[in-house]
Amino acid sequence: MAGKKQRSAKRVRTVNNTIVHIALAILAVIWVFPIAWVVLTSFRAEKGSYVSTFLPKSYTLANYAKLFTDTTILNFPKMFGNTLFIAICSCVLSTFYVLSVSYCLSRLRFKMRKPYMNMAMVLGLFPGFMSMVAVYFILKALGLSEGGLIRLALILCYSGGAGLGFQIAKGFFDTIPLAIDEAALIDGCTRWQIFWKITLPLSKPVIVYTVLTAFIGPWVDFIFAKVICRANADYYTVAIGLWRMLEKEYIDNWYTCFAAGAVLISIPIAALFLFMQRYYVNGMSGAVKG
Amino acid sequence: MKKRVAILTAAAMSLTLCAGCGSSGQSVPQDGEVQDIRLMVWAPSEDQSKDSGEWLQKCCEAFAQQHPEYNIDFVYGVADEATAAGQVAQDAEASADVFMYANDNLTVLTDAKAAAKFGGIYEQEIMDTNSSTVTDSLREDGFLYGVPFTTNTWYMFYDKSVFSEEDVKNLDTMLEKGVVSFPFTNSWYLPSFYVGNGCTLFEDGTVEEAGVDFTGEKAYEVTDYLIDLFANPNFVVDADGSGMAGLRDGSINAIFTGSWDAGSIKEILGENMGVSALPTYTLNGEEKQMMAYAGSKAIGVNAASKNMVASIQLAVYLGSAEAQKLHYELRNVVPCNEELLQDEAIANDMLVTAQNDTFNRTSILQPFVGRMSNCWTPVENMGKGIRNKTVTHENSKEQTDAMNDAMNSDGI
Repeated sequence: MAGKKQRSAKRVRTVNNTIVHIALAILAVIWVFPIAWVVLTSFRAEKGSYVSTFLPKSYTLANYAKLFTDTTILNFPKMFGNTLFIAICSCVLSTFYVLSVSYCLSRLRFKMRKPYMNMAMVLGLFPGFMSMVAVYFILKALGLSEGGLIRLALILCYSGGAGLGFQIAKGFFDTIPLAIDEAALIDGCTRWQIFWKITLPLSKPVIVYTVLTAFIGPWVDFIFAKVICRANADYYTVAIGLWRMLEKEYIDNWYTCFAAGAVLISIPIAALFLFMQRYYVNGMSGAVKG
Repeated sequence: MKKRVAILTAAAMSLTLCAGCGSSGQSVPQDGEVQDIRLMVWAPSEDQSKDSGEWLQKCCEAFAQQHPEYNIDFVYGVADEATAAGQVAQDAEASADVFMYANDNLTVLTDAKAAAKFGGIYEQEIMDTNSSTVTDSLREDGFLYGVPFTTNTWYMFYDKSVFSEEDVKNLDTMLEKGVVSFPFTNSWYLPSFYVGNGCTLFEDGTVEEAGVDFTGEKAYEVTDYLIDLFANPNFVVDADGSGMAGLRDGSINAIFTGSWDAGSIKEILGENMGVSALPTYTLNGEEKQMMAYAGSKAIGVNAASKNMVASIQLAVYLGSAEAQKLHYELRNVVPCNEELLQDEAIANDMLVTAQNDTFNRTSILQPFVGRMSNCWTPVENMGKGIRNKTVTHENSKEQTDAMNDAMNSDGI
């Protein structure tokens, strides 16, 4: 009797697991589908933006080659370089801002602490492109809207407000026991040394998180790049370049290259994530023992 | 993150705003003195690329040679005709002195007071070398706002091995012989049937108060015709490039598009490529001419330009017969200069003939009054309704009236 009951419970579990796995498999396919399609399209040899079959009829690497060789109209390598430079600089700057602000708000006590946090939250409620036109005119007034300074303008744009996005990092710093800081103070550490030598090494997961978001923001941004670059094609970022490939004059010739470009821009993000992933895991497991 | 950027930068930097406001005064030219000027010129990237012959650079250098009184420092920027007007209107001071724009953006420029008017000898020269239909497309309140360099419209490309020159005169004849694809859900194309049967937009396209007349028997008939057209097995809706793909694999024999696709079609059809103005269609036994929207592309001058005279002279030169001829040779841009169209080599080009034939005979000037912006979505919805079979012979009258109402309303 009991054995029979156990068997049936086991069967119920197997059935449940099967159903769950089938459902998950379906969801996974739906999720991966568009990505697989973009990758397949990037290798498609037939031209044009419309196809009647899911799988390409023939495959080629020419789309990738064209991106890097046919540079007179849409200079993809240059755009890629511009974006990489801007994204790396903004990433370094914003990571530094975010972590510093978070540390101050978590560890220091000063008069403007509360008002600052409230202000940051209220400002965070407004969409950024609301002030886009104002930002453009400010940059123009400062003479940053032409020539090589456009890169600087974009870096300022992407990193300037990073200090308002401190919430997650501050939350993380709050979980590190204050006793460690006090011990370090007694040993003669300065605030900077505590931040640099004690808090940061204990905060790898949140550093990884901050770096990733700080890199992806400028890497995929379209609106600010479009408004600030205007007609300066030499400083276009990949987002603008890819968008241009889909305009009616180019779409027939550039559609498959667009897919190739889309695949290529995912590489730096994926590489960064893979590289940082181990710190992510390490950081989580290497806990501070109170 | 970037959203906060904006606000914070705005707050932090507003104090320093005035620092960059200094403006450079313009020197007054003396007789016989060489004037140093800086001209910023915007054009599409193809006009500047080495592969397509650097039309812009060549023309600007030729202009500089003709004008020894200027010592010009050219600054080139990339902005195509569709977006340049928006950019200039956004911030005229930091925009090009001379730029190229499509005439449907004219109100964007004039509303922002960003386009310079052409007058006097310059206007006379432009009027003398272009047909008044073309120049009318660049006028507002009687003022001329640009130098036209090409017309902008769509027409028909077909496979000569399927259709004869006689066949392509009528759409219904074509549908008996081969497969025709039409951008049925695109409101730049679909109104051609309605306009062909006497429907009007803002009377002749300029009287904003008159509104749109896409109603009554003349419109109901067309809706019914379109429902039947869609049901025709030889008719295929062209959307998202499907027409071009069909042409490539041979399942479609004729499509409607413009000069921007001519290169690709030539590659597909080769010697069999045929181009012609729009065909007629047979409505209740009568032949009606399809009428495309047509416009022009022009060279405009920024009203905030610091070197107005030189800019206007450069614009006139870039739209001259000489520059148009080079444009045609390098990039196949169809000229609109009257003298140039008499040129034998150009007159025999079927693309040029078809485009000009369409412009002169089978098109109306695309209205650019402000309320025209209400006219796109309702027509698109009509095309989609017929495709989804929600518009049927039973309800075609109500649906047509609903489209007309929406085109005449300012609400969303």
